[in-house]
Amino acid sequence: MVDGIVKRRGIDLNSYRLVVCLGPGGVGKTTVSAALAVTSASGGRAVDVMTVDPAPRLLDALGLDADASEPRTVALDGVRIRSAAAKRARLRALKLDPKQTFDTIVGRYAPSAAAREAILSNRIYRNLSGALAGVGDYMAMEKLLELASDSATDMVVLDTPPAAEALDFLDAPRRLLELLSSRAVTLLGAPAGLLRQFRLVDLAARAVLSAFDRVTGLNLLRDVQGFVRGFEGMYEGFAERAKRADALLRAPDTAIVLVTTPETARIAQAREFLDALGKAGLSVSAVVVNRAMPPLPDAREITAAKIPPALKQKLKRNLADYAALKERETRSLDALSEALPSGAQLLLSPELDHEPKTLADLASIGTSLRIA
Amino acid sequence: MSRTSTSPRRTAQPNLPRVLFVTGKGGSGKSTVAAALALALSDKKRTTLADLDGHLAAANLLGSMPNDEEPARVSEKLEVIALSQRTELTSFIRRIVPIAAISNRMLRSRTFGYVTAALPGLEAFLLIERLRMIAGDAALHDRFLVVDAPATGTALELLAVAGGLQGLAPAGTLNRLAGEAQAFLLDPDRFAVLLTVTPEELALREAIETAAKLRDGRIRIVGAILNRVPEALFEKDELDSLDALGTHRSLAQKRVAERAAASTARALLERAGMTTLELPMLYRAAFDEGEISMLANKLSGWLMAS
Repeated sequence: MVDGIVKRRGIDLNSYRLVVCLGPGGVGKTTVSAALAVTSASGGRAVDVMTVDPAPRLLDALGLDADASEPRTVALDGVRIRSAAAKRARLRALKLDPKQTFDTIVGRYAPSAAAREAILSNRIYRNLSGALAGVGDYMAMEKLLELASDSATDMVVLDTPPAAEALDFLDAPRRLLELLSSRAVTLLGAPAGLLRQFRLVDLAARAVLSAFDRVTGLNLLRDVQGFVRGFEGMYEGFAERAKRADALLRAPDTAIVLVTTPETARIAQAREFLDALGKAGLSVSAVVVNRAMPPLPDAREITAAKIPPALKQKLKRNLADYAALKERETRSLDALSEALPSGAQLLLSPELDHEPKTLADLASIGTSLRIA
Repeated sequence: MSRTSTSPRRTAQPNLPRVLFVTGKGGSGKSTVAAALALALSDKKRTTLADLDGHLAAANLLGSMPNDEEPARVSEKLEVIALSQRTELTSFIRRIVPIAAISNRMLRSRTFGYVTAALPGLEAFLLIERLRMIAGDAALHDRFLVVDAPATGTALELLAVAGGLQGLAPAGTLNRLAGEAQAFLLDPDRFAVLLTVTPEELALREAIETAAKLRDGRIRIVGAILNRVPEALFEKDELDSLDALGTHRSLAQKRVAERAAASTARALLERAGMTTLELPMLYRAAFDEGEISMLANKLSGWLMAS
């Protein structure tokens, strides 16, 4: 059942302007993102790929170093470019730096130099803008808007931070907005006398913060107030961009690609992702099962071969071992295809016998995923 | 669950820590190892498995379904609890806002979002605090605690949070609590990390880097579990005569390469100063309680001998 689907179809990269790769950690999201980008570029499009946490080998393959936080052109060496489209073909890659992106946004949108300094030196901001969960997601979204607004670019491929839940990334703008929302600003920033107008729930939030302060002597409430006040003049801009990001994710020429590997636990996680995405009204274009096992050879060939019986036994045993693993994989994939929403296709990306090291490796992965 | 133990009846490793915190790269078999380890330890002593992985993979492998409120019993001597940062923060908020109607609405509302965002590190810290409490309880009743921790990146952040808070709050109650949490994490009798790794370049590199970071942080590492090690099948040069059987030959070469990668991985882990135990690749179509028992038996032998 699974093989049939794979042979029939693939991702038609040319029909998309944005591809977002989501998935749990350790499944090769970055590799799949880079592979799709290389393949689309070799087909003659101008493509940007934003990676989040690439393995060193992958950085090498893309010719990036650890601090390539702005797009850099990748020389498409060793990749066959469709000759008719060679002129347009272009690949740029970058590695997201959440802290720097956040600092840049604050610098660009802060209403005054004093406001900018107040935010940048705020203790809450300094903690938030580091590696803290959520901010990386949000900053990927900000950077995405910047890349997507460049009319010289045909397609952006976005790798996302590893997520425990499907919506961690897609929901990031909403969560940051909540922190910065005018209600939070007034609630946390208001002098105590004005608090009568707020609901009990909001007062309880304030109570939690001040109780925490009392217990700890941290003065967090003051810092939080400083933080939200700092963003007062910038809130509208954040809200507007979050809205644009949301629209972009739901656009018809955006593909959401869920990446997973065939292990039973990962497939279970992928099913949870699909469920959550469905509930959020986001449609998934494809589920890529990365590092899937290739088809196995026929046992009868061993029986017929003229080789020592002992070696025959070993080859049969080896085949039986891999067949058991293949069977485990097939069961997982069947469970996954049952959970597949309509309109989404299941694509298998066969495992390479080595970690992808070159653009050619990436191109071969990408080619296996797109419409021939 | 029943299983036959083939391990010799000797006393457990005298210096096993109270808490074994199992972490590794995503996909390296953390949950499998944590489940098997908890099962193996429960042969000697009562054991609690704390599942910190939100998907309860380890709990499911033991056929148990704990919820946030209450541990689930797997056997007479093994129980599983589910912990999450979110749950710990929830109970913190319930303590501070004792009126249930308000705290419940607050937890459901957006307000929760600002509180969590405003208190960076608090969720993680509360989780470490909870582990310290459970560990204290385990010491009192002479139990083991096995933690199915998040993947290495998140796990390292979690283990660093107590030290970080100590720096953020130079004095006061939080400083004291953070100090106690830090002392717990640094006490080799109470706490140690077990790293899981598969014989793959990236997983291996991540394990070695993680070990270095843990050493910098002076956190004890009991060793590495090299997971999914294929049994050797072919002799050197044996495949040279197989030209006519191209695909079978490739499949055999794959086996040989995987076996060689495991040997290299073991050598590198040991060179990085880690006691390394290999768990076999189980070539089986199913992977559930029976397979976990097989791995638990392997681990038992190691726990006894080392």
